[in-house]
Amino acid sequence: MPDETPTIPAKCLRCKADLATPIVCEGCRTLYPAPQTADYFDLLNLERTYAIDEGKLTAAFRAITRNIHPDRVSSQPEEVRVLATRLSANINQAYTVLKDPIRRAGYMLELAGGPSAAKARDVPGNLLAEVMAMRERIEDAHARQDPAELANVRTTVRARRAETLAIIAQRADQLTDADESEKTEFRRLINSVKYFDNILAEVHADPLADDGDHNLD
Amino acid sequence: MTDSSDVIVGIDLGTTNSLVAYADHGGPRLIPGPDGPDDTMLPSVVAFDPQSDRVTLGREARAHAVEKPLTTIHSIKRLMGRGFADLADDVDYLPYRIERRQTDSAERDIAAVTAGDRSFTPPEISALILRELRDRAEAHLGHPVSKVVITVPAHFDDAQRQATRDAGQIAGLEVLRIVNEPTAAALAYGLDRAKQGTIAVFDLGGGTFDVSILTIEDGVFEVLATDGDTHLGGDDFDRTIGDLIAREIRTEFGIDITTPTIKQQIRTLSENVKMRLGNEETASLEVGIGTDRVYRRTISRAEFESMIAPLVDRAIAACSRAMLRGELKPDQIDQVVMVGGSTRVPYVRQRVAEVFNCRPYTALNPEEVVALGAAVQASILAGDERDLLLLDVTPLSLGIETLGGAMGKLIPANVRVPCQASEMFTTFKDGQTKVKINVLQGERELARDCRSLGVFELQGIPPMPSGLPKIEVTFLIDQNGILNVSAREQRSGKIASIQIIPSHGLTREEVARMERESLEYAYDDMDARFLIEVRTTLEFDLNKAEQMLAQFGHLIGDQQRQMLSDRLNEIRTFAAESDDAGAINARREEFNRMTIPLAEAAMTAALNVDDDRRARDASPSSGD
Repeated sequence: MPDETPTIPAKCLRCKADLATPIVCEGCRTLYPAPQTADYFDLLNLERTYAIDEGKLTAAFRAITRNIHPDRVSSQPEEVRVLATRLSANINQAYTVLKDPIRRAGYMLELAGGPSAAKARDVPGNLLAEVMAMRERIEDAHARQDPAELANVRTTVRARRAETLAIIAQRADQLTDADESEKTEFRRLINSVKYFDNILAEVHADPLADDGDHNLD
Repeated sequence: MTDSSDVIVGIDLGTTNSLVAYADHGGPRLIPGPDGPDDTMLPSVVAFDPQSDRVTLGREARAHAVEKPLTTIHSIKRLMGRGFADLADDVDYLPYRIERRQTDSAERDIAAVTAGDRSFTPPEISALILRELRDRAEAHLGHPVSKVVITVPAHFDDAQRQATRDAGQIAGLEVLRIVNEPTAAALAYGLDRAKQGTIAVFDLGGGTFDVSILTIEDGVFEVLATDGDTHLGGDDFDRTIGDLIAREIRTEFGIDITTPTIKQQIRTLSENVKMRLGNEETASLEVGIGTDRVYRRTISRAEFESMIAPLVDRAIAACSRAMLRGELKPDQIDQVVMVGGSTRVPYVRQRVAEVFNCRPYTALNPEEVVALGAAVQASILAGDERDLLLLDVTPLSLGIETLGGAMGKLIPANVRVPCQASEMFTTFKDGQTKVKINVLQGERELARDCRSLGVFELQGIPPMPSGLPKIEVTFLIDQNGILNVSAREQRSGKIASIQIIPSHGLTREEVARMERESLEYAYDDMDARFLIEVRTTLEFDLNKAEQMLAQFGHLIGDQQRQMLSDRLNEIRTFAAESDDAGAINARREEFNRMTIPLAEAAMTAALNVDDDRRARDASPSSGD
């Protein structure tokens, strides 16, 4: 792929102020096309670590968006408006991905050259049996019309999900030094969270579970 | 700070009523029509008189709805961006004629309205309403207005948004932004900086329903989730009453209601019953059947509520879905803002209070708040409101038809806009230079259950063996919720051109032609407007001169007096007979010059009277 904007300018070409994010100058609000080399962390001017302060992320997103949103440049020439629209789409995507712990993990894996979700769809070896056991417990709870048991299953699934996320958090920052099998295993962990999420969504929608607890996670 | 002559106005183009507003340092305010400061709502009704070719709008048009049901067009918003096939339900209910517009392509289905011997697409009708609002704004602000923000239901799809933008263009307006109605309402609500937190906007208008959940923090209005129904509103409430009346007339008198006049009469009556039931427990009605028979009925509030319950259920279900999508529980929502005239129905308020578990906020006028919000958005665009920012989402999933007729999702619903997605396409035949993509919007699995936005034909692909070209197509939904598509063949780096055949919309060429045509009419209209203005000013000046002649004519001598009196009558006759506004105005100015000596004499006399009075007042003998 041709590299259209090979370098990230360190300073604003117009007012010479330092650029915190490569796409906009906070001083004079000049917009720059997003460099191909810039990842989501660069765009939002955040450190490339898995642990993210959500408040800081949202603050960064809003501060940048205030300067690049197309509503801010509606009286400017069309090329500026088109650029603002594209940059906003980029920054929206960056924010959405980094805000979600699972998508953030998947993104960091891709940055490290690991397999994408489309390439590795499998899960850790013992997971399918585990999920099947969980589903059997749900069926039993239905057969016995036992909402308490259903609530128990939910507690178990939530605990397993939290455990898996903790492992993901631990390993995410070491991905650049990880070997291929470790990267594939990391993808499997991410995939397994999706299995837990599916079960939780089903329990959530289950009329038997209507005990007022509508937390989604 | 922008030049005041460059003010951007905000327009709420509603199913039942339309409003226009602007914002200045004092905040947003509505622009009234000719009937005084409270005349802010323009009924969204356009009437055509086939005899005189005259177009009337608003209240005047609505007044003739019952006598002239075929040429009085209301609820046009329901037809915007829709095909004839979509409207089977509405065709039955709307008394005017709706037909399928003939086009060059069998893939396109565009609904059109026929009034007299002319056919109009919905954007052309909406353009007439927009022009009237523009005229009101120009008259009020005293300078030309060309830039607007127009609101649409959050659940409008791409075709409906495009149709709204097309209406603006046909009216000769630059539509800077399409804003979602509930989001606009939130802007008006949240202008008061104390109002931070998470709010739900429940917007039930004449024909559409939206619910949006937003957070307001430091001037950033961020939509978390939205849901709704573009075919649910107060019109449907009226219709439950109308259907009941028609049904009972059939059983009682053995006749079917087919004549447009009676249909329209029942429609008006039903709306009236609904409004009365807002304050009273029962409402009675009568419909004359032929010359001697009368259908009489009393409807109780409870009966009305049971009839509209299934409709309200749909709105309430959408509220629950929106909370689920936003991962929110009722107790996390600080306030529910009620928008749209239909939220005046007590049963609606009661159900909303139940689902969100809090009392709805009704301090804002539900009919005005969207237009006010549109004006706030206009001031954001003008750069006058630097602290505020709206971050909205796309209401519907966007995708393409894949092999086998499935909907391949590219951008899911409820994603923050602007947003984009790219997809690779290739060819199936050697040397193929065109690829057709059917672009869809909707939440269903099969392409045929989703809405086709149009067929995008990628052209100018360099001839290569099949499967070799790699065409990257980028689908970008902008801040207006409108789709922009671009394509590039990666091997050659060539930008492929895209020919769009909109399924339910107008092509760029069609819009341009309609704009030209409407401009021609606009010039006629402008002349007509100018003529009325000149005549009004003339009449004012002549009346003033007449009064002065009667009171002070003796001061300028008989000859002068007679001359002015003759001239006055001459000009009055001329103005009544001529429609040359320029000539009338020239005579008015000439006459005003001729009356200067009279005016001076009158002034001197008035001063003398004043002097006399002062002298009298100062005299000690005049007091008591």
